[in-house]
Amino acid sequence: MSSVKGPLNGVRILDLTHVWAGPLATRILSDLGAEVVKIERALGRGPTVATIEPIAGWIGGEPGAEPWNNNAAFVKLARNAKSVSLDLKQKQGREVFLQLVAVADVVIENFSARAMPSMDLGYADLRAHNPKLIYVTMPGYGTSGPYKDWVAFGPTVEPMTGLGQMLGYSDAEPRNSAMALIDPIGGTTAVTALLTALRDRQQTGTGCYVELSLHECGVAFNGPWLIERQLGGELGRHGNAHPEMAPHGMYRCRSRGLHDDADWVAIACQDQQAWRGLVTILGAELDPAWERRERAARAEFIDVALADWALRLDKDAAAEALQAVGVAAGPVATAPDMLAENHAQARQFFVPYERYATPIPGNPIRMSGLSHDDWSQCPALGAHSQSVLQQWLGMSVQHTQQLLDARVIAERPPD
Amino acid sequence: MDRILEIGGYSAGFCGRLFAQAGHQVTRVESPQPPAWASQQAMSLFLHPGKRRVHADAAPLDELAAAADIVVIEAATADAALALGFEHWSTPVKVVITPFGLTGPKRNWHATPSTLLAMGGYSQIIGDAGRAPLSLPGHYVEFQGAQFAYSAANGCRFAGASNVVDISLYECLLTLSQFTTVMWSCANRIRSRHGSDFYWVVPSNLFACADGWVYINTVPTFWDAMTTFLQLPELIIDARFTDNDLRMQHRDALHELIAQALATVSKAEIRERAIAARIPAGVVLTFDEVLEDEHLGERNFWQSIEDTDGRHYRAPSLGFCIDGRARAPMTLQKVAPERSV
Repeated sequence: MSSVKGPLNGVRILDLTHVWAGPLATRILSDLGAEVVKIERALGRGPTVATIEPIAGWIGGEPGAEPWNNNAAFVKLARNAKSVSLDLKQKQGREVFLQLVAVADVVIENFSARAMPSMDLGYADLRAHNPKLIYVTMPGYGTSGPYKDWVAFGPTVEPMTGLGQMLGYSDAEPRNSAMALIDPIGGTTAVTALLTALRDRQQTGTGCYVELSLHECGVAFNGPWLIERQLGGELGRHGNAHPEMAPHGMYRCRSRGLHDDADWVAIACQDQQAWRGLVTILGAELDPAWERRERAARAEFIDVALADWALRLDKDAAAEALQAVGVAAGPVATAPDMLAENHAQARQFFVPYERYATPIPGNPIRMSGLSHDDWSQCPALGAHSQSVLQQWLGMSVQHTQQLLDARVIAERPPD
Repeated sequence: MDRILEIGGYSAGFCGRLFAQAGHQVTRVESPQPPAWASQQAMSLFLHPGKRRVHADAAPLDELAAAADIVVIEAATADAALALGFEHWSTPVKVVITPFGLTGPKRNWHATPSTLLAMGGYSQIIGDAGRAPLSLPGHYVEFQGAQFAYSAANGCRFAGASNVVDISLYECLLTLSQFTTVMWSCANRIRSRHGSDFYWVVPSNLFACADGWVYINTVPTFWDAMTTFLQLPELIIDARFTDNDLRMQHRDALHELIAQALATVSKAEIRERAIAARIPAGVVLTFDEVLEDEHLGERNFWQSIEDTDGRHYRAPSLGFCIDGRARAPMTLQKVAPERSV
């Protein structure tokens, strides 16, 4: 049972996911109380000796004595989980995995379409050991169709969804978000899918196969535009403008002297009332009666006034002033801005619970019975290799020690 | 099957869509909608097929709520949500989606997707250095909030528990902010804008090809295969590029070589080569090209939607499929006449 109290208490998840979309999904599920057991290769978190610094650095700032356990980007996504390091390529490892499958509720993986079937661990193989199993597979382009073997990461799937037709400063400058946008879409969609499947299983009593394509998750988010095209609508890049709001954009503010390229405020005049409020700030040359189309026609003129006004204030003061007159506005935030922001602090959103009190983004689902007070840190690699086998499968201490000695399970990477 | 009452804009609408697609009975209360990135006709065709649609004054909300198992409320501020009086409704599961949540000093701040993306750390890392941050077009913010709302509501129903769920769109973005905050906390680095370049992994950028654009994303393990894809095998032994650190140092030179290599290659050939070489690449497709994409077509991804006049459209189905079930056609119902419910 998970130590986290929540509606998914009692749901056992075997988590074979990696990188971002899959681990994000299982982190959300663990926040809801599911017991998430990561099945990891002994070298899955890297070797015993630190070679290169991970993309987001090391928890605590240094690789430490166990660098494989200190990759900050990994740790951030693995709270509340348990870790079983299991060699699926050994016969015994495979047998142990199938025993775990037999008593699990869910297996989730985001390998390529061919990976699990090639190890005879596809859905049909696993279902034979547990007909109530829910199997979630998350390959980039799904398990069928011409692209099924195309290697996919978030940044390469994004342009395949059509978003590139809309994202960018102008039609002459195509863009990619360069932030793997499709991964968080895929991650939350996997949670959506699994909750749907769990409730189906409550009705039917049988398990199911959930196939999720990152590509299709991304295309689904572009649904309104795809229908707009069929209605004959013309679509193109607006930069930071908006087809139904004016003014709408990013405005440079007075420098805070931090040299972080972040002295900007986002402003969106969302309705007529907001426009009247904006006019009280910007001055008499603007007419509070101008409706949205009139404002759009005068966008250049209004933008000059707004840009001039914004430069006199820092971004936080600008946002505060605009909010005070009913205009939607928000400062462009860097990481230190996000961590220091008073609303997030008041709601205790970032939780300094990892090693060295590293603040980690919290759970946006707030309801009674859920609290970060019972969260646990990212486990060390293989920290539960023996205990999960003992608790789930009733193995003796001697048995799990034999598996450890035979390197079927591990508690650290090989030297 | 649950009975869902949906009140609000595009986040509530997307949440209701998920319930409708899962076979639940969804009643949507129609109301004036916030500014959108597509026409209201397109938004409705995407979000509302399969729902019963009623006017806001067709019946008191508390009566509609009393008949529901789940109510999904989206409001512009916390006070606007509370003004609906949902706290007194007897519905077992009440999910309230607002920009900043029901508590906290900014609970009544006004917001749109672009202002939330700015505060949530997204805008700071999209766009060019020295130029304005670039906001994401579309309804990413609302749809992500909807997925959290749907999961929370289903979690409550799964557990057989009543609850009030407070979803802040701002917090949804903060939790989906990739490694932005830990990079600062752990490596003391602030992420900023690098155009389309996924700066930390080289080469990962957008390049022009013969008939469009291609994005390649070269996680280090794919470097050798990437040189095959580029038909530049000599790069494997080029001392400037043998690991990611070196490729970061010689980024401009490498980008120039790749730009030359791809300039005369078509999108179709890039797709064939990328699949054959098993490397991560993607071509920039227009919406028309997405609608005609052979892969999506072969996978029966599109769902047929019939509008209130009997016309048919192709809408994206959900990003997942359970047991290979066909994506059943759905119909956008007319809004029920006032006082008819």
